[in-house]
Amino acid sequence: MTTAPRPRRALLYVVPALLLVLVALTGPLFAPHPIDAPVTAPYEVPSGDAALGGDQLGRDVLSRLLHGGAPLIATALAVAVLVTGIATLLGILCALRPRLGRWVEQTADVAILLPAVLGIMLIALAWPAGGRLPVAAAATVLGIPYAVRVVAAAAAPIAATGYIEAATAGGERLWYLMAREVLPNLRATLLALFGLRFVEGVYVVSVAAFLQLGPQPPEADWALMIRENAAGIMLNPWAVAAPCLAIGLLAVSVNLAAEAITPDRPTTETRL
Amino acid sequence: MAGPLTDTATAGGATAPPALPPAVRALGRAARLTAKRLLLLLVLLAAVFAAVSLLPGDAANATSERGESAADLAARRAALGLDRPLPERFWDWMTGLPAGDLGTTAHGQPVTSVLSGPFPNTLLLGGLALAASILGALALGSWSALRPGGRADRTIAVLATTAFALPEFVLSVGLLLVLSLWTGWLPAVTLTGPDGAPASWDMIVLPALALAIPQIGWNTRIVRGALADQAALPHVRAAVLDGLPRHRILTHHMLPGALPAIAVATATSAGMLLGGAVVVETLFNYPGIGAVLAGAIADRDTPLVAGVVAATGAAISTLLLLADLVRDRVLGAAR
Repeated sequence: MTTAPRPRRALLYVVPALLLVLVALTGPLFAPHPIDAPVTAPYEVPSGDAALGGDQLGRDVLSRLLHGGAPLIATALAVAVLVTGIATLLGILCALRPRLGRWVEQTADVAILLPAVLGIMLIALAWPAGGRLPVAAAATVLGIPYAVRVVAAAAAPIAATGYIEAATAGGERLWYLMAREVLPNLRATLLALFGLRFVEGVYVVSVAAFLQLGPQPPEADWALMIRENAAGIMLNPWAVAAPCLAIGLLAVSVNLAAEAITPDRPTTETRL
Repeated sequence: MAGPLTDTATAGGATAPPALPPAVRALGRAARLTAKRLLLLLVLLAAVFAAVSLLPGDAANATSERGESAADLAARRAALGLDRPLPERFWDWMTGLPAGDLGTTAHGQPVTSVLSGPFPNTLLLGGLALAASILGALALGSWSALRPGGRADRTIAVLATTAFALPEFVLSVGLLLVLSLWTGWLPAVTLTGPDGAPASWDMIVLPALALAIPQIGWNTRIVRGALADQAALPHVRAAVLDGLPRHRILTHHMLPGALPAIAVATATSAGMLLGGAVVVETLFNYPGIGAVLAGAIADRDTPLVAGVVAATGAAISTLLLLADLVRDRVLGAAR
């Protein structure tokens, strides 16, 4: 179905995503100005000194842009690691113990009725002093049911294979079956799931920040920058467009990378 | 990705006594599916009500004024009914639901009257975006399914993945810059008319587009995947060997079988759309539940938040139920 060999094509998508994350994490080192002191007039257009102009208080947009990615990425990474880890454990368990699987299925059916944004709002505002922690906690809790479904669906065919049956009959313990027999076969699925969960984490954390849950001014945060500078979009569009592009590029590149490493569907289509 | 496609309700009807006529059995299955969706909705409402009540701080605190005494606070707590035990409050709230009574907000207004203006606006916005996303996804998904592995197929796949990665507010800003500020084609903010609805039709285009585009991406992948599954089935191969025209194979042999997966995807989309609407409404100043909700959560207004969750949950449940019925019908016909 593809022209380039599969691993090379995957690399083509994975490398830009990793580079972008790296640039965002090391960004603060290259910031030319402090993030909390005015260097231009409010919403000043780009000039030699401030390459992307000033924000609503005249602070350097470029410096704030370079600082604003690391916390977002760190929170999203933490969410992705937690969700993928817990979902792996529960998902494999569900595949090996179908009764638990049905229960998780119903939890996911309930969770689907609560839009993630509403869930985040509920938890984050009931826990106002927590900063980013409640948002991360909410994103983790709300992400797990769906992720468990994905892992369980991928693990079910493996759990039904003869060698698992043989290992079970041989008296292997549950944790051994999970860690040594099922898990190694799920590597590609889990890697792709991790990428997708990271994108979802970026989505949820940035949406929360945009709704002023989590990072508080004068912190530099991409989503918060968009919210703060939206009023001056006519005066200096870059104050809004630059953080928008940053979030967009991050989400899209990681999503494409996750897509590229997702195992192919095992169907063979009839050519119409 | 496999989640929405997983089959959960195929067993319906298999245990029914064979003596009953098919119509009655179908009705029985429909009733059971309805009961299941209602039960799940109730579980969600109970969980939300408990979560909001058990977390620290309450409505009496959040809406109190500076310098209010502890006695005043206790009095307000009593007036709002917050001193009663949680199960009792929940029971009161639940028993009011069938009568359309969602309780009273922390500010003393009935929840239904606070929501009656904005909620239809949000449903209109979400409904338009949902319709656009289904049509767009069906068109793009079918187009690429007719050319499996071709250039169009691969391009659409990449575009779809790109679209559904974009948060709505990022997309909103992009659309705002291009379609409104630079070209002047569409209004940048929604002005509200005297009846509480948007003042003119073109104000709904930008927010609806911002909501629809990520969902078009998501649903295109689902439609494409479901059609690929169908294309692997023997009856499609037979139709191809019989030399039927490609479009007829698509509409008569592949889409009907793909319908259940598409219906579930639509219902899943509705949840994401209603969540995204909160953000998009804030950006475009659209008069929907987004603003109501932001205020309600700041005030720790449990009945109002629960009311919003109940309303959106009911809307999503309705769509999920429709998806269940579609699946039941398609699988029933197959039996």
